[in-house]
This record gives sequence, structure tokens and C-alpha cells, in this order.
Amino acid sequence: MPNDKEKGSGAVVTLRDRFLIFPATPLPQFATPSAQAFAAEDRRERDKEVFALIVKPGYTARTQLLRVLKGVDNAGLMTLVEWGTVDWPPAGRKVMALVYMKPLGGCVWDPKAGAAFKRLDEGEITRKVIAPAVAALKFLRAQSLTHRAIRPTNMFWATPERDRVVFGDAAAAPPAFEQPAALEPVESAISMPAGRGDGTIANDIYSFGASLALLIQNRDAAAFSNEEALNRHKMVMGSYSALAGEARMPLALVEILRGTLCDDPNERWDTEGMDLWLSGRRLTPLVPRIEKRAVRAFSLSGKDYMTARELAMGIASVWDAALAQIGESKLETWLTRAMDNKGKAEAVAGLLGGDAMDPERRTAADTTIAKVCMLLDPMAPIRYKNLSVMVDGYRWLLPMAMANGGDVRTIAESLMRELPKAWYETREAYNPDNSVMDSGFRTQKGYLDRGVIGNGIERVVYEMNESVPCLSPMVVEEYVLEMRDLLPALNAYAKRKGDTNPALPIDRHIAAFVAARANFDVERIIGDLSTNDDGRKIMAMINLLAMIQWRVGVTGLTSLTMWLAHIAKPAVAGFHNRDKRKELEEALPRAGKEGNIVELSRLLDSADERGADIRGFEEAKQAWLEAYRSVRDIVEGHEDLREEAAKTGAQIASLISITIAFVAISVSLVRMIF
Amino acid sequence: MAKKAKSSGGKKGQAPAGKLFMTMALLALIPFSLPTMLLLFAGMLPTLVAALTDRSASRYAWICVGGCNFAGLCPAVLNLWFGHHEITYALHLVTSVRVMLMSYLAAAGGWGLYFIAPPIVLTVMAATSKRRAAVLTSQLKKLEEEWGAEVQQKAAMAVAADEL
Repeated sequence: MPNDKEKGSGAVVTLRDRFLIFPATPLPQFATPSAQAFAAEDRRERDKEVFALIVKPGYTARTQLLRVLKGVDNAGLMTLVEWGTVDWPPAGRKVMALVYMKPLGGCVWDPKAGAAFKRLDEGEITRKVIAPAVAALKFLRAQSLTHRAIRPTNMFWATPERDRVVFGDAAAAPPAFEQPAALEPVESAISMPAGRGDGTIANDIYSFGASLALLIQNRDAAAFSNEEALNRHKMVMGSYSALAGEARMPLALVEILRGTLCDDPNERWDTEGMDLWLSGRRLTPLVPRIEKRAVRAFSLSGKDYMTARELAMGIASVWDAALAQIGESKLETWLTRAMDNKGKAEAVAGLLGGDAMDPERRTAADTTIAKVCMLLDPMAPIRYKNLSVMVDGYRWLLPMAMANGGDVRTIAESLMRELPKAWYETREAYNPDNSVMDSGFRTQKGYLDRGVIGNGIERVVYEMNESVPCLSPMVVEEYVLEMRDLLPALNAYAKRKGDTNPALPIDRHIAAFVAARANFDVERIIGDLSTNDDGRKIMAMINLLAMIQWRVGVTGLTSLTMWLAHIAKPAVAGFHNRDKRKELEEALPRAGKEGNIVELSRLLDSADERGADIRGFEEAKQAWLEAYRSVRDIVEGHEDLREEAAKTGAQIASLISITIAFVAISVSLVRMIF
Repeated sequence: MAKKAKSSGGKKGQAPAGKLFMTMALLALIPFSLPTMLLLFAGMLPTLVAALTDRSASRYAWICVGGCNFAGLCPAVLNLWFGHHEITYALHLVTSVRVMLMSYLAAAGGWGLYFIAPPIVLTVMAATSKRRAAVLTSQLKKLEEEWGAEVQQKAAMAVAADEL
């Protein structure tokens, strides 16, 4: 029975000293593709029914959403009790754990168990499903957040009586990552799952409408095997027709289904519209806006396309062969004559005009195709080679690609070629948010242009998304989300590898992570990391870690400090004076044992000591040179003593002469007197 | 440069004034100590010659000769001062072979001292060079121990420039 309290047993993992998670007691009915579910227990309130979701490594949990949802008691949302990282023995690393109040009525749709959605009458659907959903959507809208995981398999009966539906977890994976294409608006459905972006509340409303339509029909969202056909159907006939058109829908629900499944996000019902509908005010059902069809099809790689949006999708699917087929004014002519859209035709001509064989144009061919796709379908995601990403989806796609060995190069290339800017330029209406995001993308391009350590694509990942943990191989197993977690993670790494580990403690990921997360100025030190001088580079690393330790106040980092003391040899060699070097070599292990990186940095990088060493060395060089020249002159017989001997001899002779004079005067005087 | 020229010009202007003052002072003394001046002029002629003929940079010759020269002449000068300080006695002393011989032989001794001292010093210096080279070599080693081989390498360029 789903409402039976599953008691955990076996080994225990503790979250924040309060929640016990039982790795040996999985709860598959609550699992999602990106997270496993396990029995859990609240030590303070043992009667509370909770379970834990353990996010699989490689998935980026949405911490911004988690921060807001923690402790929120909303009629339409599964209550998040606690979240945080835990040591997870089955994975041998730290993972993100989310503890939720257990929905006691089970999942609304469970394809594994073969359970079907029991038909409810219209009133029950309104009361038990739509009303709590509207409450959840209103809350999310008020918080400027989106759920992006509204689907039948992630909807649960909150109580054993099954009188209220709640949306399940939304934070264990990037937005809409696990959503079936059928439940997403067309533009989101044709994006890569990780690149669908946070979107707006309109996306959630659509997903809810689509879920509701399928639940009423008892259809499985996964049953739509031909995604392309479904998307083309949605584009041409509208989503309502694609998802509910063939079924007999309850009359009372047609209005809300049409409103929520409207393909134009500006016309789609918002939460206020849904609220009005709930309170009994009936609105005129929205009539789907049919995409303008051409009088003749545009043929591309053997397929015929009758609308501009479909053609854009077709071009993206035959990327490499597309340019030859749309060039030579073919697309321009089709847009002018078949679509009667002279404005778009001119814009396309501007992109495709000129000599196609010009080397510069060939290099920019991919960018040109991407821009043509944007012109043909402004609502669609940015498409570039094999990439298809919503403009706000970069921040999720990039870390997922980086963590799972995806095609990071193409993503970086699309950012370098300023495709987000081109996307914003094709917007029909001005939106001030777009200017802010465009400016953000310009900043990211600056990081990509610099490329040196502390910048590059790694910096872009951490700058764009604060939910991304540090992906450095050294600390990835420690799930470092914030600066204060970095040093303990490095300390754990140092402990595993031993004090004599020759690797350097800061790689491109750690440098970029620190640069993006630090709320103090680290740019100068980060700049020193890219120097070719090993001593300076290591010193910059030690200084950076010392600054972090000083700021966050973490102590007891013995292993890390011992490791730093070991690799600091080139920095010690930066001192010329051998006595100073010896003194440092004796002092470093002492500082290492104390776990004090700040002291280590002070020992190695004191400006006074460095200045004295440099001055002393300059004086020593001069003294050495003079002594060497003298020795050489003596040995080789080049030393000319005659001049000096003549001078000294004359002086001595004068001295003797004057002495004789005085003696003579004295003797003569004495003789005179006596 | 202009400043330097100006300052050196100023010194040149001061030297003749000083000399002029000294000359005037001596001339003023002549009426009161003519016997002494006569004896000193005649007895100290070798010193005057040494001062005029010395072309060395240090110009120590006249001091060297003058010291011995005066040592030989001083008994006669004291006799003049403590005996009869008159021009006739001064002339008597000037014409005394014994006084002049003592004075000039002493001056010759001064010349001898002047010429013999540098070769002796040269010989001593040459003898101590080996010892100095050893001291300098140990100083080089000490510098290398204290500052490492870099101190030698960094100075090597200057040495190479020397050799070129």
C-alpha cells in the first residue's frame, strides 16, 4: 500500500544531524529518472512521513528552487522538508539529498505498475486536481520560479483519501529535463532536454494542461513515439488538437484545456485566468491560431514543408546539407511567392546574399543557417549544428554537457558567435529582460575570449548558474556548491592523495569556480595563475587559498596545508638567499602541521622579506663582480700596481720626510735651550 | 653641464685670489723678517726646484724634499732666530759651506727618499697580492654559498662584456 509507512533499515546516512536516510530501503514509486528515492526518518518528529530523493551524480540540482521551496506548505506542492549534501556510501561520494513529506496516496500515474488514472468526474477533477495545481502555480509565479516537471508520473495524491493532487519534485534535475516532449510547448519540446531552460510560468501552465488532457484520456505521455510528427502536428493544428483533438473531453473542462494548451504563450491562460475559471467565471474558449500555410511546399532533402516553423525544424534536422538547398534565392522566392511574406524574404536574402563560395561566408555558414532558422521560427530555440537550446537553457545545458562528457565545444562556439544576441535581435516585441540577459551573454563571451585559467568555458558555467557544483576532478566527489565547502573538499582530496602529491591544487575549474563565487576581489590573483613562472604560479595558488581561508574562516586543513607546503618548493626557490631558503624549508612543515594556509602565505610572500632578498641579491652580484675582476687581474697579471705603488710610496716618503723635519726641529730646539 | 662649468669657473676665480692674498702677506712680512727670508730662500732652493719640476698627479715631491731640506736647514734658522737676527748674520750663514752643504745634502736625502719609496712599496704590494687573491677567492665562494650559483651567472654577462 502506498500509504503504508515504509520503515528504513540497515546502514544510515544522516542529513544535517536530523534526517536519517536508509540506502538499503529504496522507494521506487517516488524515484525519478534523475533521482533515486529512499526511506527516511525525521529524528525530531518520528511520526512524520518523509522520504529522501538522492540526486544521481551528473545531474544539476536546482538550488535556487530548493532554497525557496524548503518548508513551504502549499496545497499543490509536495512539501520539501530539508535538502543538502550527504556522504552517500553506495556512490562513494557526496550527493545532493532532498527530503520531502511523503504523499500518502501514491502516484497519480505509474507506468511501471501498469496503474491507470481512474476516471473522475468533472467536479472531482476541478476540486482535487485543478484547484491545488492552481494554488501551486500561483505560488511559483509569486516567487518568479517555474516547476518544469509537471507530468502525470510526477503528480501524487497527497492523502490516503486521494482528495488532493500535489506536484512532485522539480529540483533534482535541470528544468524540464525529464519532461516528455508531448507535455512541453513546441519550442521547448524541440530543445535538447537539458537546454529547455527555466522558461516562464506559461510553460508550467502548458505542461499542466497537457498532463490533464492525457490523464482525462488515460493516455500515456510516453506513448507518443514519433516526436517530430507530434511537434509538426502541434505547429500546424495546435496543441489542443494534437493532445486532445480526437478524444471526447468533458465539456466543462474544454475551456481550461484550450486555455492552457494555447500555443501562443502570450495568449495562453495565466494563473489569474485559471483562478477566474475556478471561481466559476466562464470565458470564451480560445480558438487555436493556425500557422500560416504556404501555397506550395518547400522541398528539403526529400521532405515537403508547408509552414515556416516546420521548415525551420527541417533545416535544423539536415544542417550540413541545408545551405545548398536554401541558397540561390530559393528560400527567398518561396517566402515571397508561396508565403507572401516579403519582410522575412528580405531578411533571409540579407543573410544568404553574396557569393556562397566566399571563404568568409563558408566559415560563417553555420551561423547563417542558425539565423535563418531564427527568422523562420522566432519562437524556436537557438539551433546550431547539433545544438538546440532555449536562450535561458544554456545555463543548464552547459554544466550537464560538461559533467557528462557532452559536446561542450559546440555550445562554446555558439556563444562565441553571439547566437543569443542574434536570437534577441529577432524578437518581435521589446522586452527589458532580454536586454539584461543579452548583456549577461556579452559578459560570458568576454570570459570565453580571455580563455586563460580562471576564465574560458569553465567560468561561463559557474557564472551563469549558481546551482552548479565545482566540477574539478579533485573535488567533484565532494559536491562543492559554495566557497566555504571548497577548502574542506581540497583537504579531503589532499588526505586521499598524500602530502607528496605533485599535482597543483588549483585547476581551471577551481579557479573559475572561485572567480565566479567569490564576493571579494580575486581577479588580480587569478591573473597570476596564468603566468609561466612556476614559483609565481604556485604562490598565486597559495595566496588565493589563503585568502579564501581568511574570508570563510575554515581551520584544521592540515592535509591541504602540508600538500601546499610540499609543492611550495618553486616558491621557496624564488628567494635567492640560501639561508632564507633553509629557514623557510624548516618553517613550512611547521605551518603545514598547523593547517594554517594564511601563515604559509605570509611566510612565502612577505613583501618586506622579498624586497630585502632582492636588494641583497643585487648587492651580492655587484660585490661578486668586483671581487671576480680583482682576482682575475691578480691571477692573470693584469693588475697594474705601479701607479698605486708610486702614489703610496710618495705618500710614505712625504710622511717620513715631515717626521724627519719635526725631529730635527725638536732636537735643535732642545740643544738651543739646554 | 652649465652648472658644473659655472661652479668650476668659480673655483678658478677663487684660487688666484688666495694665492694673491698669500703673496701679499709674505711680502708684508719681508721688512720684519728679511734675514730669515734670505736664509730660507737660499737654503730651501732644492724644495723650490722640486715644487717647480714635479709633474706627478699627487705632487708629493716638494713635500718629501721640503721636509728633509728644512730638517738640514733648521739648526741655522734657529741660530739666526735665537742669535743675531740681522741681515749680516744671515749673509754669514748663507755663505757658510757647512750650513748650505747640510741643507742641500738633506734635500738630496729627501729626493732619495722620494725615489726609493715607491719601488719598495711595489715590492711589498706584489708580495701581498697572492694573499689578497686568496682572500677574494674565499669571498667569492662565500657569496656563492650565500646566494647560490645565480649570483655568478647573473654577473657573467658583465664579465663577458669586460672580455669583449
